[in-house]
Amino acid sequence: MVHSLTTPTAFWFFYSVILLLALPSGKLRSSFLLMVPILAGIHLWNLPLGNLVQVKLFNFDLELMRVDKLSRIFGLIFCLAAFLGNLYAAHLRDTVQQVAALLYAGAAIGAVFAGDLITLFIYWEGTALASVFLIWARRTVASYHTGMRYLIIQIGSGVILLVGVALFFNETGSIRFELMTLTSLATWLIFLSFGIKCAFPLLHNWVQDSYPAATVTGTVILSAFTTKLAVYALARGFAGTEILIYIGAAMTLFPIFFAEIENDLRRVLAYSTNNQLGFMVVGIGIGTELSMNGAVSHAVAHILFKSLLFMSVGAVLFRTGTCKASELGGVYRTMPRTAIFCLIGAASISAFPLFSGFVTKSLILDAAAKGHYYIIWAILLFASAGVLSHSGIKIPYFTFFSHDSGLRPKEAPLHMQAAMGITAFLCIFIGCFPSTLYSLLPYPVEYQAYTTSHVVNQLQLLFFALLAFALLMRSGIHPPEIKAINLDSDWIYRRFLPSLIVKVKNLIDGFIFRIHRLIPLKLYSALRLIHILLGREGALARVLPVGSMVLWMVILLTITLVVSFIGF
Amino acid sequence: MQAQDKNDTANLPKLGRVLNKIDSYNGVRYIFIFLITACGVLFLIDFFIEKHGYFTVENLYGFYGFYGFVMFSGIIFSVKILRTIIKRPENYYGTKAIDQEVYPKDELEKVDHGS
Repeated sequence: MVHSLTTPTAFWFFYSVILLLALPSGKLRSSFLLMVPILAGIHLWNLPLGNLVQVKLFNFDLELMRVDKLSRIFGLIFCLAAFLGNLYAAHLRDTVQQVAALLYAGAAIGAVFAGDLITLFIYWEGTALASVFLIWARRTVASYHTGMRYLIIQIGSGVILLVGVALFFNETGSIRFELMTLTSLATWLIFLSFGIKCAFPLLHNWVQDSYPAATVTGTVILSAFTTKLAVYALARGFAGTEILIYIGAAMTLFPIFFAEIENDLRRVLAYSTNNQLGFMVVGIGIGTELSMNGAVSHAVAHILFKSLLFMSVGAVLFRTGTCKASELGGVYRTMPRTAIFCLIGAASISAFPLFSGFVTKSLILDAAAKGHYYIIWAILLFASAGVLSHSGIKIPYFTFFSHDSGLRPKEAPLHMQAAMGITAFLCIFIGCFPSTLYSLLPYPVEYQAYTTSHVVNQLQLLFFALLAFALLMRSGIHPPEIKAINLDSDWIYRRFLPSLIVKVKNLIDGFIFRIHRLIPLKLYSALRLIHILLGREGALARVLPVGSMVLWMVILLTITLVVSFIGF
Repeated sequence: MQAQDKNDTANLPKLGRVLNKIDSYNGVRYIFIFLITACGVLFLIDFFIEKHGYFTVENLYGFYGFYGFVMFSGIIFSVKILRTIIKRPENYYGTKAIDQEVYPKDELEKVDHGS
């Protein structure tokens, strides 16, 4: 039974995949890819608030379109991110990536408007399945393996969510996705599932592993949805959960150090994503109207400036074939516009006044101070200096300035410049006219970002940090960019556990070998015979192809049918 | 891909030429001087504005500047130590990692004026 007042926004994206495949590859298809998110966004903008689509499935009431102020702003920014991502990728003639981008955006938007946990689960897994193709589309051995690791973790998050939802339903008899408390195993599992996608400390490494492995355009699209969907889910389900404050603070802290010595600039940005998510998680943990507004608005601003940074680094990768800091430098000469767009992104993420980060991050810092979280406030302030170090300075400086690498790449293609230009404009627009963004936030905003003391304080923090950078560079103390990688928590499942498994296997093999020597010869030959017949390669245990199994099933069923037909 | 005509600015786009000119006129030095001046001015302004921070420490003159400077330097010094512990060669995770993989050429539009 369906009760529908509108088409769910996610379906716009799913239906359009069919149309997309009908269109010839080329400019027409690229334009169509731009139209879909625009039309979906306009449609969403004009929707009234409320539960607009309900479907009865078995005994469950599924709510596919819960539009309220919290879900609407995420839906809108996801449409915008899909538009910008598709514009950036307008040169692509790769159907796999085009379809994946549409399905991924659709699934993320579907999840945001899910009013119940089952719908959320379906879309949650949908984002995982669709997005992995943006990594596999690179079509290399390494990207295949990285994609598999990504998929295992993402699907794992979904499976944990499913178990949590089942337990939750068992306990409460409800599947509505609303504010929860961490009082039972069910809610803890749901919390953990959100935490994996939100890249909580020690669960974070899939971001750094996968984002640099995706295609040039894939990374831009990846960066917008999954983690921000997790932020939305936490905001919806666990606002005001105190543990989030401390988790968030840890998230802002540790990536700073890793990002600073990372050579792959797209991985630096992945660490930076972690750090920025930390601010949002703290905001959700505090749970006041001010902090929730801060978390949501920072998510919006972050989608824009992080996309912009990924776009600019991606454009350099597109033209030079590398995005490693040790190989780049001095590229501003031939890619000046990309350099300026990158600087705008860097200024926004560093929260310079008149740029978007300033008017959103300060809501969270203010909420922390108002809540008397003294140490958390100091950590966030420290993290703000840290953001400047890796995203504000390192990304633009080592890509476009620094020493001259001798590379003279052509400026980014026009459509990439257009995507970067629009995103840069939005970053500045939000920074200069924050009231537009504030008016879309879940709670009314009575906040003045531009007070004299606030501007001076922030400028002091940033300029003195810049001065420290300049002094450290001039004195040669600043660590140079070198060709190397750094260990992180993924070492556990990429090196330690595999080597542990090999060691255990050798141990067992040795043990079996010793037992063999103890067995009398006759018994041993009997065992051999059994092994030949029933062992791994044994005649009786041979694995037959699925096809032949199906064939035998068909034959058996036919015989049964014939016998029963004759019998009656 | 080393540029043969590295110092030839004729091929650069207009905006690139302007930026390059700033760079060649000792731009870095001027930026440094600007930074020091800006920091000085921002520190002095602190004495003339009304402060209403949530914590007493915020009302100290130049607190934010001091905090920014010290914390930034702290980050840089600590990552130097961190690097000695966690640094590994690019082939550490072998061929199943992208670290030493060359980005597939057919997905790029590499154009280099310098080569």
